Amino acid sequence: MQFRGPGALDISLNVNGQDVTVHVPPHRSLLDTVRESLGLTGTKKVCNEGDCGACTVIVDGRPVYSCLTLAIACEGRTVETIEGLSRDGKLHVVQQAFIDHDAYQCGFCTPGQVMSVVALLRANPAAREDDVRRAVAGNLCRCGAYNNIVAAGVAAAKKS
Amino acid sequence: MPGLRVLVSKDEFEGEIYTSTVIVEGNDLPAPKDGADSSEIGRARPRVDGRSRVSGTARYTQDVILPGMLHALILRSPYPRARVRAIDTKKAEALPGVRGILHRFNVPEIEFRSEKTIFREEVRFVGDDVAAVVADDEDIARVALGLIAVDYEILPHVVDLEEAIRDKAPKLTPEGNVFDAGSYKRGDARKGFKDAVVTVEATYRTSTQMHNALETHGAVASWDGDRLTVWESTQGIFEVRNMIKNALKMDPAKVHVICEYMGGGFGAKLGTYKYSLYASLFSMRLGRPVRCILSRREENLAAGNRSATLQHLRLGGKDGRIVALEHESWSNSGQGRWAANPTGPTNTLYDIANIASTAHRVMTNAGALSAFRAPGYVEGTFALESAVDELAAAMNVDPLTLRRRHARSAIDPRTGNRYTLKRLMDCYAIGAKEIGWSKRKAAGMRGSAPHRRRGLGMATQICGGGGGPPAYADVHFETDGTAVLRVGVQDIGTGTRTAVAQICADEIGLTLDQVTVRIGDTDAPYGPGSGGSVTLASIGPAVRLAANEARAKLLAAAGGVLEVRADELRLERGVVVSKGARTPLREILSKLSSSTIVGTGLRHPNPTGLAIKTFGAHFAQVEVDVRTGEIFVEKIVAVHDIGRIVNPLTAASQVQGGVMQALGFALTEERIVDRGLGRVMNANLEWYEIPTAMDAPEIVVRFVDTPDRKANNLGAKGLGEPPIIPTAAAVANAVANATGARVRHAPMTRARVLEALAIAGAMA
Amino acid sequence: MSLFSYARPRALAEALKLLKNGTIALAGGTDLVTLVRHGVARPDRLVDLTGIAGLRGIAREKGRGIRIGALTPLSVVEHSAELAKLMPIVPQSLRDAATPQIRNMGTVGGNLLQRNRCWYFRDEGVPCWLKGGKRCFAVDGENRYHAVVGAHECWMVSPSDLAPALIACDAEIEISSSLGKRRMKLAELFIAPHGRERREHSIRAGELITAVRIPEKALDRRGTYLKAMERKAWSFAIVSVAASARVKDGKATDVRLVLGGVAPVPWRVPAAEKLLEGTALDDNACLLAADALLDGAQPLRDNGYKVTLARELVRRALRSLVTA
Repeated sequence: MQFRGPGALDISLNVNGQDVTVHVPPHRSLLDTVRESLGLTGTKKVCNEGDCGACTVIVDGRPVYSCLTLAIACEGRTVETIEGLSRDGKLHVVQQAFIDHDAYQCGFCTPGQVMSVVALLRANPAAREDDVRRAVAGNLCRCGAYNNIVAAGVAAAKKS
Repeated sequence: MPGLRVLVSKDEFEGEIYTSTVIVEGNDLPAPKDGADSSEIGRARPRVDGRSRVSGTARYTQDVILPGMLHALILRSPYPRARVRAIDTKKAEALPGVRGILHRFNVPEIEFRSEKTIFREEVRFVGDDVAAVVADDEDIARVALGLIAVDYEILPHVVDLEEAIRDKAPKLTPEGNVFDAGSYKRGDARKGFKDAVVTVEATYRTSTQMHNALETHGAVASWDGDRLTVWESTQGIFEVRNMIKNALKMDPAKVHVICEYMGGGFGAKLGTYKYSLYASLFSMRLGRPVRCILSRREENLAAGNRSATLQHLRLGGKDGRIVALEHESWSNSGQGRWAANPTGPTNTLYDIANIASTAHRVMTNAGALSAFRAPGYVEGTFALESAVDELAAAMNVDPLTLRRRHARSAIDPRTGNRYTLKRLMDCYAIGAKEIGWSKRKAAGMRGSAPHRRRGLGMATQICGGGGGPPAYADVHFETDGTAVLRVGVQDIGTGTRTAVAQICADEIGLTLDQVTVRIGDTDAPYGPGSGGSVTLASIGPAVRLAANEARAKLLAAAGGVLEVRADELRLERGVVVSKGARTPLREILSKLSSSTIVGTGLRHPNPTGLAIKTFGAHFAQVEVDVRTGEIFVEKIVAVHDIGRIVNPLTAASQVQGGVMQALGFALTEERIVDRGLGRVMNANLEWYEIPTAMDAPEIVVRFVDTPDRKANNLGAKGLGEPPIIPTAAAVANAVANATGARVRHAPMTRARVLEALAIAGAMA
Repeated sequence: MSLFSYARPRALAEALKLLKNGTIALAGGTDLVTLVRHGVARPDRLVDLTGIAGLRGIAREKGRGIRIGALTPLSVVEHSAELAKLMPIVPQSLRDAATPQIRNMGTVGGNLLQRNRCWYFRDEGVPCWLKGGKRCFAVDGENRYHAVVGAHECWMVSPSDLAPALIACDAEIEISSSLGKRRMKLAELFIAPHGRERREHSIRAGELITAVRIPEKALDRRGTYLKAMERKAWSFAIVSVAASARVKDGKATDVRLVLGGVAPVPWRVPAAEKLLEGTALDDNACLLAADALLDGAQPLRDNGYKVTLARELVRRALRSLVTA
């Protein structure tokens, strides 16, 4: 077993269903990698230390903080970002519900919130209000759109 | 130019009246009548930019990634007060990939924010700027910061408000640390207290609240050899442009500022900070785009805050009324040059005959304050409305009844001017009904579990929000029949883009999707910064005028094309309707080839001799666990009188958000600074605890939806600040009602609630 | 952020071989990545354990209790039907631990080995005692969340929610190194830093926790975990209480009481537990035990409220064992 790094090296990732190779050092976070190397800037950088949830992506089916995830640790895993949700220009039911319920204000936390709700509904399609509220408990919204976010999640659960 | 005149306009901003000279052209439109029907205004519309916000395509400043872009980071003082004697950058400069370093010994002369330099000789807080480094990537810039050697001479410091006031504190200026920040008198407070039968007197404290907008401050600057383009996360694109061009002594036309989307500001992004100057200077020097974006920690050291306050209040009562009120306040402005005066509500909210108030600014070795959503009003209302409840209890009067006795007047007590509209009594009535105030018992109620008590509380808000000139809008039509509306403002999350689209569509007679809104670009005519709840009330009336002119011109053109008299035509949902015929707009415009119809509008001055204010009341139902000090906010009812509601959906969101931010202020948010080190120990989102989804109570939002017809042609006023003002006091009053314990320090942490419960003997 | 090289071995033996000086094991990364980014930890190499298959999962082993692999994500423990039935205090303790995302990333072993959250320790600009400095800055500084009991030179508090709950179940841990395996009581993992021991855990360099075991004889215990936070979610405990006991005919025996958030280790005082032996866990007995548990508490300027809070949470947790 060889150690790799500490300089930049080629890392193979599967992001939104596509195999990609990026050239980054082992300390580079998944967040910085999707944003800066892949140009997927929908995932937001807010605290960079696991205290806010704006960088939430789905890795192997579970929502995680991409700021605390090393890109190199995602080799062999599937990564989904906000950009991977809509299909053929049609919004995901959770995205549409966020629009309908005005589940945002400045919108900076929105991609992370959406990813948390999407992951919840995949695991628990019959999610109710309390489930949604707990599912987004790790996603701060400084504009305070929480009740609308929860309403959007509940509405999406009913539709999906 | 016919009809052009120069006038003096008086407008309120954050409680102060400002006078400016403005140009006015043409006539304003009359405001709509109460209950007037409208195709768009007053309708709940999802945001026009919703799709980009939910799909991650909305481009914020941090998403601007340009080819060849360099990265700048800032070296910040580790000491609260020190003299920078020397800086050695040799090692840092030798690092491959480092492109430049700025510090006080090599920076050009730049005046900024009332100082002669951007790098102080004496750094004055932990986080003060010492140097800036630009490098090929962030990793290199970070290593370079560590290689810069700074020789500091450490000086005595003080960071705590109450320590800074004391005589033995180090003096940060030759005049000391405490400065006058305004005083006010009405009637004779001394005589009032002599007449009073009941007097209450108490000291209230509010801790430093930090904005923590999710997008940190930052900018990307790009110099093309002729013009500087700056993408900045800001509440005021024109303020950024002005500050950059003044600091760098450039012509305004050479500075172009863009803010398409921004991730929250809450007052801290009115204007620019030093990071934009570093990005601009480096870009102009190196000919490459430069990004300089603050980290979360930097955001909480050097990008503003809501001052901590110490407030002393005395109220005198007689015959179930307030007869005298004194309020003295001290605000920790850190290194800021102004104070957010907490006595604004004291001076203006209630019809009380005898008032005396004094405000002091206190300088400390902490980062400067900045405006934070109703600066001063939030802190002051917590103290004032807590004290009003304490007096009500002492006089054995229902606290809502006491307020009603002082809230009827239609005259602004400070200026003597009549309000354009005041529906505060309606707010009280609606809120009282919604929360079930009639069930309130003076000694609180039993809670839902052992050791839990339930209580109701309420508080009132007064705020500005009238907006004013200058503000401009223009509208033109594309040949496909859609309209393009351009305004020089930014959408800070309040839904400005959607609201102006609604106003435009409504006035012209289009559907919402037939209007494209272009904002966030200083290449448009001027629009105001989004602060002081002014955006919609400033720009909305201008949009209406521009749309109105565009519609008139369009109907004239349509008349020509259709060979019908223009006054026999009207526009409905993008269709020109005449007697017996319906012609889609695009059919008419396609016959005009590239001829373009343009309508322009401007904001007319506010009426003279009248006071424009917003009013509101929040009611809180809480439970308190009297053994653990835990507060459960169960329900907040928020009722506001802000004139006409343009979009009930986004307006309700604003109120929800104001309540949540206020709950953070009331319960958990508090900057914690080590006094010895001068360091902010919770400059993060771990120990600086902003509310989560689990902290959100049921929030009921109601509006007294009546157009303020005298205020402006839209009848609308601002809503950004009002909903953050009264929540903390309402909660504190509900806690006191539930338990008999009065918590006089926000946030009401476990420690403070337990202490108050113990003092009140309420833990059984 | 210091630069490091990285390896993700597939087998435990291989991982153990790689764990030499300057090498740190990486599991969920929720703590380690921030420590590295803030310069508090400066590894040359990281060994990512998440590729090792055999260290995950929850197994009921007849006669030998329950074995939880050290790399089992916290969310798997939280939602384990087996644990919900046999030892509900364990999933209960995770319900309010951090956030869904952190629980998906974080592992059982990582949770037990997480470093403390003291803001002086976490601030790379403060040379605190635990990092080799001269003094604890919390003693005369900002200490509302610091220890009230059991501190020596360092007043940080044990941050884990899981540890008090597992100690209340008398859990053991299995440890491997390239030299072999050993087992110990989980409680022995935790050290209140003092003297030469400027660390929070007794595990030695080159060792890994491979599993947590709840012994068979603990499975007939009842347990309750209560946590006080400043907000309603996503806070470290101001005070937490794990209580467990055997309850028969309304009388409690073999009571265990463990506090989180009040001391540098999960705080347990056997003498306090003995006071409850054979009682009906009435209010009076509970408060006597709470007093004994907090005997010798020395609150700092701003954290005396923790004693009040702990007394009440102890009482409630114990009461719930007989009233549930």
